[in-house]
Amino acid sequence: MPENSTRTDGAGAEAMELWRNWLTETERQWNSFFSEVMGRDSFGRVAGSYMEAYSVIQRVLNQGMERYLNTFNLPTHSDVVELGERLHNIEERLASLEANLGNLASAAGVETSASVTQLRPRRTRRPRTQKNESK
Amino acid sequence: MATVRPPDANSLLDAAQDQVQKNRQRIEKGLDILLAREEPLVGVTPKDVIYSRGTLRLYHYRPMSDEVYRVPVVLIMSLVSKPFILDLTFGQSFIQYMLAQGFDVFMVDWGIPRPEDKHLKLDDYVLDFMPRCFEEVQKATGEDDYTMLGYCLGGQLALMYGGVFPEAPVKNLICAATPVDMEGMGLFRHFSDPRWFDVDRLVDAVGNIPPDFMLRSFEMLRPMDRWMSYVRLIDNLWDPVFVYGYRIMYKWTNEQIPFPGEAYRQMIRELMWENKLMKNTFTLDNRRVDTKAITCPVLNLMAEHDHIAPHAATKPLLDIVGSQDKEDVLLKGGHVSLVAGKNALGRLWPKVSDWLGERSV
Repeated sequence: MPENSTRTDGAGAEAMELWRNWLTETERQWNSFFSEVMGRDSFGRVAGSYMEAYSVIQRVLNQGMERYLNTFNLPTHSDVVELGERLHNIEERLASLEANLGNLASAAGVETSASVTQLRPRRTRRPRTQKNESK
Repeated sequence: MATVRPPDANSLLDAAQDQVQKNRQRIEKGLDILLAREEPLVGVTPKDVIYSRGTLRLYHYRPMSDEVYRVPVVLIMSLVSKPFILDLTFGQSFIQYMLAQGFDVFMVDWGIPRPEDKHLKLDDYVLDFMPRCFEEVQKATGEDDYTMLGYCLGGQLALMYGGVFPEAPVKNLICAATPVDMEGMGLFRHFSDPRWFDVDRLVDAVGNIPPDFMLRSFEMLRPMDRWMSYVRLIDNLWDPVFVYGYRIMYKWTNEQIPFPGEAYRQMIRELMWENKLMKNTFTLDNRRVDTKAITCPVLNLMAEHDHIAPHAATKPLLDIVGSQDKEDVLLKGGHVSLVAGKNALGRLWPKVSDWLGERSV
């Protein structure tokens, strides 16, 4: 019985293996077909026209949306971006203040919380080959 | 001649039972994916944020041993994808591997650009953000020099940094899947040909390049990959290990991030069209990026079947640096399997660790 079972499993596994090989080969062939098609100038021109249309639509939509939002007295995308930029500037200033405080603290010999909590391993490790040579 | 006996009832029953079991698991795992249940955790190696600015985060991974190599390793990530590719999951994390080998690891994660970041240029990344991060690394370690390891576009940023600051104390430079000769970029170069691709119109219209646009551009390089990956998933849906690996990689490939508009314009115009990095004529804020001035040891890691950064584009990297100690490593596999997965775990990671260990004391 084990012999038969092995034979059944073996045949099944073989079929699956054949199918998987076919799948890989099909994938390779289709990919190379598409690569060949997309490598043509005509495809490039079509893709370029699509991108151009996409850019125009995007710009028109943005402008239209901005007008509508302004009409309804709602913040527009550019308002939100502007707000983000202002927040960013505040963050930058805070970071620079923090850095200056850190510098002052280290100059005064005060350890910051980060330097206290961080593990400080010895920086003396050598690669195995060099260790063996030194022995 | 051997006669083939028909299988007996018991073996048929066993096979049927096996199939029922597998189908039950297929349904269960399929539902997990469809309902996004038990999302795999990624990028979980313990770390501290030691510096942040806007969306930028500089991470310091917690060392796994009490003795590390003197020179810290700073990972410079790409601008086009999330950085967890180097820290996928337990046992499949390059970062964990390097920590276990005794390296002190830092990572520059650029974060997800916000709409207001559309003005960011490569100049900002290389001349402003990177030097600031290295200062923090120096402060955190007390060491002057550091190793830069850049993946994909991160490798280009590292090269630019080395080229514009030749006096910087860069001990070693490792570039993985880093394209330098844009003439070898194949379909990417064709898609962005100035005869039909108007980068200015696109950037002016959208600001940051949308993640979906980036994802479709990558998928167009191998259009069948996505569909075949679904077929393979159904075939292996009963196998929890395969499904887990699939979900992690699916998460990474599909979680694309926007590309800062001005940096994209610069990449297309100056690198893709004019191939300035290769010709050694690239400038950042009127400062020449002279890659020939890079003299530290350089390791160039390439994948033979990389369709995103083809071998023809990555191979000339060593020709454009001025180092004496330099080495090419070409491995089988693709853009992702070069740095993540079994191939990387067995071959690339030990190679990086050995090469770097000797040069990090």
